[in-house]
Amino acid sequence: MNNTIAIALAVARKDLTSEWRTRELVPALAQFVVLALVIANFGFQIDAHNAPSIAPGVLWLALVFAGLVAFGRAFAAEREQSSLEAMLMTPASPVAIFAGKAMAATLLLVMCEAVLLPALTLFFGTPLTAQLVLAVLLATIGMAAVGCLFAAMVARVRARELLLPLLTLPLFIPFIVAGGQAVQVAMGNGGNSDQAVGLLVDFDILFVVLTSLTARFVLDE
Amino acid sequence: MNRFEQAAAAAVGLMVLAAGAIFFYAPTDALQGQVQRIFYLHVSSAIAAYGCFAVVLVGGAIYLRSGSLVADRFARAGALVGLVFTTVTLVMGMLWAKPIWGTFWAWDARLTSTLVLWIIYAGYLLVRRLAEPGRQAARFAAVVGIFGFIDVPVVHFSVTWWRTQHPGPIIVNDALPPEMLATFLFTMACTLVLAAVMVMIRYRIETLADGPGVETAQVVSAVKSREAEPVQ
Repeated sequence: MNNTIAIALAVARKDLTSEWRTRELVPALAQFVVLALVIANFGFQIDAHNAPSIAPGVLWLALVFAGLVAFGRAFAAEREQSSLEAMLMTPASPVAIFAGKAMAATLLLVMCEAVLLPALTLFFGTPLTAQLVLAVLLATIGMAAVGCLFAAMVARVRARELLLPLLTLPLFIPFIVAGGQAVQVAMGNGGNSDQAVGLLVDFDILFVVLTSLTARFVLDE
Repeated sequence: MNRFEQAAAAAVGLMVLAAGAIFFYAPTDALQGQVQRIFYLHVSSAIAAYGCFAVVLVGGAIYLRSGSLVADRFARAGALVGLVFTTVTLVMGMLWAKPIWGTFWAWDARLTSTLVLWIIYAGYLLVRRLAEPGRQAARFAAVVGIFGFIDVPVVHFSVTWWRTQHPGPIIVNDALPPEMLATFLFTMACTLVLAAVMVMIRYRIETLADGPGVETAQVVSAVKSREAEPVQ
């Protein structure tokens, strides 16, 4: 067990180090989410009155697509160098390797959220509360688990850019429903978010367990 | 006629009988009128679709455990037939919703989760097409099938917390007059037979599409691994 955690942390550190040295993904994602806000501005005719009702939708759209790019990249880089095969040849368990890569991808997406949420507050004038951050972070955990599992899968499939959103987005919906509700409340659209936050925790547990059970079959080819 | 053609003819005959019961035996609904007759096939095909996707789940899980090709073929057959029945459910539901709700679509728990169901299993079939045929496609699809089956109730219940307008379960609530209940049960039985026959036929097609080579290859590799064992 300790060994598994050590391997996962080592893989995560490797991914984060390589991102730190190249500084490719996070700046690109940050730019991507800001662009999403700009496009939303022109698509929606945003003013002070309708901003709180539009902002949550924009937030989730930007986050979900940024997530798809982040998870896809996590395994695309390994595929280009064929380094995943090399890692899988070591005695390390595939689940530990997967956990490490998923942790790194989650952290990179969180960095992108650190740009997205303040930018949303800046451009849309919506409040940036602890409740909002909590809901987004909880949703990120479960989405990263599923997203990385399917990213690992499609990395070996033809037309991977096509297939990843198609497989992953339907599985994100529970997080978007519950997270969406919590964010609506946080942005002052009324209602109670306790139930939504509780559901997010339940979904996180369910999807992380399910992912850890099936990751072996996806990686161990 | 071979046995597949016989089974198909029997299933079609049963569906014609069910149509007769729906249009001539079941009484017209006092509130909804003729449109209510959609209900019989709509609910039956939804149940048939769930059954097919359960086959996908169980087949996928068995495949992941044991690598059984039979289980994988059943999963493939179930996904395709289930997708057909989901399409029927969605289309008939929308035709019913237009006169009754005044709109084809509402973002309600049932509708949303059924649409997600459709998208997931369409993705399942795409994975099968795009992944390398054989072990990779079967494994990846099995994982999609497992996640898909779990996701649908999750979507359903998560949406239920906040919005719903689909009619509740009326069969278990004893709200149907006996003729309607009898028609519904008969239609459901016929639809389930039809689904089972379609899965069997699709299973046969998948077996033929795999070709004789697949089993032979498995036997050959099994024999080789045996040969590699030290002689006692």
